[in-house]
Amino acid sequence: MTQPLLQVKGLTKRFKDRTVVRDVAFSIAEGSCAALLGPNGAGKTTTISMLAGLLQPTSGSIQLLDQSKPVTDRRMFIGYLPQMPVFYPWMTGREFLRYAAELAGLAGRDAVLKTDEWLENVGLQHAASRRIGGYSGGMKQRLGLAQALIHRPKLLILDEPVSALDPAGRKDVLNLLQRIRLETTVLFSTHVLHDAEEICDEILMIREGEIALQGKLDQIRREYSEPVIRIEVGGDPVSLKWMASISSKAFVRQAEITGNRARLTVTDVEKASFELMADAVSHQVAFRKFESGQSTLEDLFLKVVQA
Amino acid sequence: MNTDIPWDLIAPLIVIWLILAVVGLISLSRTESTRGPKWLWVVIIVCGNILGSVLYFVVGRKDVS
Amino acid sequence: MKQFGLFFRKEMLEMGRSYRWLWVPLVFLMLGVMQPIVTRFMPEILKAAGNMPKGMTIMMEMPSGAEVLAQTLGQYNAIGILILVLSLMTMISGERQSGVSQMIFSKPVSFVSYAAAKWMSMISLITASFGLGYAGAWYYTVQMIGPVDTAAAVKAALFYLLWMWFAGSLTLLFSSLMNPAAGIAFVSLGAALLLSLAYGMLPRYMAWSPGALPQISAKVLLQGSGGTGTMGALLITILFMIIFFVGAVYMTQRKRARF
Repeated sequence: MTQPLLQVKGLTKRFKDRTVVRDVAFSIAEGSCAALLGPNGAGKTTTISMLAGLLQPTSGSIQLLDQSKPVTDRRMFIGYLPQMPVFYPWMTGREFLRYAAELAGLAGRDAVLKTDEWLENVGLQHAASRRIGGYSGGMKQRLGLAQALIHRPKLLILDEPVSALDPAGRKDVLNLLQRIRLETTVLFSTHVLHDAEEICDEILMIREGEIALQGKLDQIRREYSEPVIRIEVGGDPVSLKWMASISSKAFVRQAEITGNRARLTVTDVEKASFELMADAVSHQVAFRKFESGQSTLEDLFLKVVQA
Repeated sequence: MNTDIPWDLIAPLIVIWLILAVVGLISLSRTESTRGPKWLWVVIIVCGNILGSVLYFVVGRKDVS
Repeated sequence: MKQFGLFFRKEMLEMGRSYRWLWVPLVFLMLGVMQPIVTRFMPEILKAAGNMPKGMTIMMEMPSGAEVLAQTLGQYNAIGILILVLSLMTMISGERQSGVSQMIFSKPVSFVSYAAAKWMSMISLITASFGLGYAGAWYYTVQMIGPVDTAAAVKAALFYLLWMWFAGSLTLLFSSLMNPAAGIAFVSLGAALLLSLAYGMLPRYMAWSPGALPQISAKVLLQGSGGTGTMGALLITILFMIIFFVGAVYMTQRKRARF
C-alpha cells in the first residue's frame, strides 16, 4: 500500500516573468488521500492543471507509476474534476456521462452500463434525461465526479471540489469522497483546512508556489503541536491592564494579545495555568474563558500561510 | 398589380422565412438565457425578416455557441 | 479512429440542437433563390419604384441563365461567407473559453481526432448548405431565366465549394488560435475578403491564390473554362487547407484550456 503512485520532481511553471509554481516535489502513495492545501493564489490550480495534463510545465517531471513502471500517457489513469466543471448545456446528464466514458476508452455496452451505474452512485438518476443547462451547482459537481471516475482511474484529482457549494451540496460531495477514497487514490486542492482534515491522511501545504510543509496528517499534528493557553477576560480596566502584562511572564514563549483575548504559547501548560490563575486571582481579574491545550492544525496552517 | 407573378415559385421563400421565424421563437421559448431581454428578441425575429432570425441564431443565445 | 467517430457524432448533435443544421442551409437556400427572382422581376420592380421619367421605355436585356447563376455565386461570396464564419467561429475556441475542454482533454483523447471531427463537420455543414442553396438557385434560374449548361454548372459549383471549404478551414484555424468570437470572425472574414480582393486587383500575380477560386468558378459558368491558373489555384488551396489543419491541431494541443 505504500507504493508511490505519483511522483513529482522539480515542478515549475512560469507565465511570462512570473513564477507561479516553483520547484514543487512530492509523491503520493497508492491508496492514500492527499490534500493540496493553501490560500487562494498559492498556485494550487496551476499545479493541479499540470498534473492533469492540461498545462505544460516549464520544467520538472510528473510520473505516474503503474506496477512500479512510469506510464506514457497518464491521462488514462487519471480522473480529473476542474474547479468549476462546465459541460455542454445542450447535452443531458446521461449523454455527457456516456460521452465521457467512451472518450476514456470504454466500449459501447460497457459505457452504457457504467453510465447508469454512476448516475445512480452520484444520485442523478432522476435528472439524467434533463439538459445539463438546468442543473444546479451541486448537481454539476456530482456529474463532474461521475465523469472523472467512470473509467476507474487510479488517481482522482479534484480542484477545490467543495469550495463553491452550499452546505447541503458540500456535505453530499464530501460523503461521496469518503466512499471513493476507500477504492481510489485521491489528490484534491482546497483552501479550507477543515475539508482536508475530514477526508485526507496527508497534506501538502503550498504557499506562493512552493511547498511549505508536507507529511502525514497525524504526524504533523504530533510534531508541530505546541502547548497553548487561550484566555479571555472581562472588559474592565483592571483585567485589561493585567492582560497587557502577561506576555512578560517567564513561561510565555509567544503571546498574541488582542484586547481582552490572548493566545499564549507556553513552555509547560500545567505550570503556566497555575501561575496565571494565581496571578489573576491576586489581581482580581475577571476570567471569561480559560482554556489550555495543544495548538491545532488551524494554528499551524495560519502560521505557515502568514509566515 | 402584376398578375403574372408566379406565386408557386415565390411561396417557398415565404415558407423558408416562416420556418426560420417559428423555429427561432421555439428555441427562444426554451432557452435559459439570452443576450438582452427576451421580448426584444421576439420583436427582432418577428419583424426582422430573415435577418432577424439569423441574428438571433448567431448571437442571441448564451448557452449554445 | 474510434474517437473521431465519437467527436464527430457529438459535433453533429450539437449542430442539430443549436439549429445550425436548420438555419444555415435555409439561409443559403434563400440566398440562392433570391438572385434569379430579383433578376426576373427587376423591370417590374423598377417600374413600381417610379423613378423612371415618363415615356422612357425600360431597355433591359434579360441576362442568360449562366450569368444569373454566376451572380448568385457573387451573393455567396459576400453574405454566404459571413454566415459561414459566424456559424463556425466558436467551434474550437468556444469549448476552451467555456471550460469544457478541461474535462475533455484530461481524458486520453487524440488531438488529431478532435480537430479532424471539427473539420469534417465543418465540411459537412458547408457542403450541405451550399449544395442546397446552389441547387435552388439552379432550379429557379432554369425556371425563370433560361437553361444552363449542366457540366459547367456542376464544375463551377465544385470550385466554389472548395473556396467555401477554404474559408471554413481558415475560420477553424483562427478559432484554435484565439478566444474572442468577434476577433475570430473579423480576422477570418478579413483574410477571405482580402484574398479575393487581391486577386481582383492583381490577377496576374495572384493567379494561384485561393482567392482566385470564386472568379474561376464564374469563368467556368460564363466561358466554359477556368483559365490558366485553375490547376495551380486548386493545388495551392488544398495545400493551404492541410497546413491550416495541422496548425489547428498544434494550437489546440498547445492551448488546451484557458488559464
